[in-house]
Amino acid sequence: MKREKAVSLSFTFLTVMLLAIPAVASGQSVWVLKQSTLTYHVTHPLHEVAGLSHAARGKGECQAGVCNFLIAVPVKSFASGDTNRDLHMLQIVRGAQFPMVVVRGQMPEAELKSATIHADFQIQFSGQTAQFKQVLFHVADHGNQIRLTGTIPATLTDFKIPAPELLFVPIKNEIPVMVDMTWEEQK
Amino acid sequence: MNARAARLFLGLGIFALSFLPAGLLRAQALPATLTGTVTGPSKALIANATVSVKNVATNQSVATKTNTSGAYTVPNLAPGDYEISVSADGFNPLTIRATLSAGARHTADLELTPTISLSSLGFSTGEVKGNPKEQALLNKRSHMLQIHQKLGLITFFPMVASLAAATQAGGRHNTGSVGRDVHMALGSATAGLYFATAYYAMFAPKVPGVESRGPIRFHKAMAWIHGPGMILTPILGAMADSQASQGERLHGIAKYHGQVAIVTAVAYGLALLSETKPNWIPGLGHHVAALLPFHRHEAILSASNHAKTAAGVSATAQAGKAN
Repeated sequence: MKREKAVSLSFTFLTVMLLAIPAVASGQSVWVLKQSTLTYHVTHPLHEVAGLSHAARGKGECQAGVCNFLIAVPVKSFASGDTNRDLHMLQIVRGAQFPMVVVRGQMPEAELKSATIHADFQIQFSGQTAQFKQVLFHVADHGNQIRLTGTIPATLTDFKIPAPELLFVPIKNEIPVMVDMTWEEQK
Repeated sequence: MNARAARLFLGLGIFALSFLPAGLLRAQALPATLTGTVTGPSKALIANATVSVKNVATNQSVATKTNTSGAYTVPNLAPGDYEISVSADGFNPLTIRATLSAGARHTADLELTPTISLSSLGFSTGEVKGNPKEQALLNKRSHMLQIHQKLGLITFFPMVASLAAATQAGGRHNTGSVGRDVHMALGSATAGLYFATAYYAMFAPKVPGVESRGPIRFHKAMAWIHGPGMILTPILGAMADSQASQGERLHGIAKYHGQVAIVTAVAYGLALLSETKPNWIPGLGHHVAALLPFHRHEAILSASNHAKTAAGVSATAQAGKAN
């Protein structure tokens, strides 16, 4: 009777261990975007414009040393301080037809603990997809949160957007996007 | 005897060496074969995944697709180090490295993880789905406002010229005064262009649920001054012309023709400036700042990061762009 109980206990222990091993071995961690400020910059000979959004949502999954992440932000959420200009921006980037900016990418998990990371990602925007490689971000580690800051060197031609004009003069092709994101690891 | 032996050994050596390159060539030519299966979670087979095999030394790559059983085979690969990449719709791309040896059949089974979906971020279908009707409305609106903007700029020139010509239009003369005729012609051109400009702003489609914010509010407020002014100025001008033509001194409301015209032109100029250089209008910079909840944040950002951004852009623009 005692032997049977011992065998049963061993079997239960073994089952629990076997079920636990994949979870431990996979080493999966999940990160969620807690706060963000994305700012695009537009330059025209007459003035410079910055449009901000705090509406980005994101999630990252790290497995086998690689982190895959997804960030999405509604195009409508960018505000430059002038609704007329924002509506024109929305029109020119076809924001009603393609309402989201979607960023998908990968980076080595080990870089999350370093001072800088180099991320590869693709951005879907205005019905186009542009690839960016080895974009530098600075990392500030705050326990289970990390803050990433950097600039995405986007251009109008990356997304086949015709340069909007003000008084017959087009804006510059470069539209760098400053990124300031705080990610939190989910327990 | 020794010389004979030496010649014999030399001959045998040459004979043996003649086989060596052929043997080596044969060894180099022996290709490797890569095979494997692409699976997703719970070992579900993934058909039609793209498997790309790149030789690290030569940068040459070969691509193939998985069959309905998720299997792939890439034959005739030269021995060496390879990067094996796999991508499939709905899954994160995966890249691994492998060393293939001559003549061997290597197996690389690849397990993909599903991509994170937009719905998992909490966005509703309505938020992520395009709205062609709204896009058409925005297109029409922008088209009309672009015409408004260009006509508005063109209108400014005859307006200024008309004001300048007004200096030669005064005095109690009969009709036929050249200065007055030029002034009236320029005034008429200004009025015509102005009302065409106004048409494109007034009849541009409105976007529901959007409240005006920023310099556009000032631009629209100015229209309440230059709009009535552009109606009143020609009327007062006609009255003034009639009185002057009859040799009368300007009297009644007609004597305010000049002042109304100047106020109208100033309001019009400010409306133009508010959309191009709002900071040039005293007080408007502050007025705009008050309307922007993030203005302070933006100022901090531009102060602290302007140099960093410029440096970051120039540094990453070259290396960071992949397409």
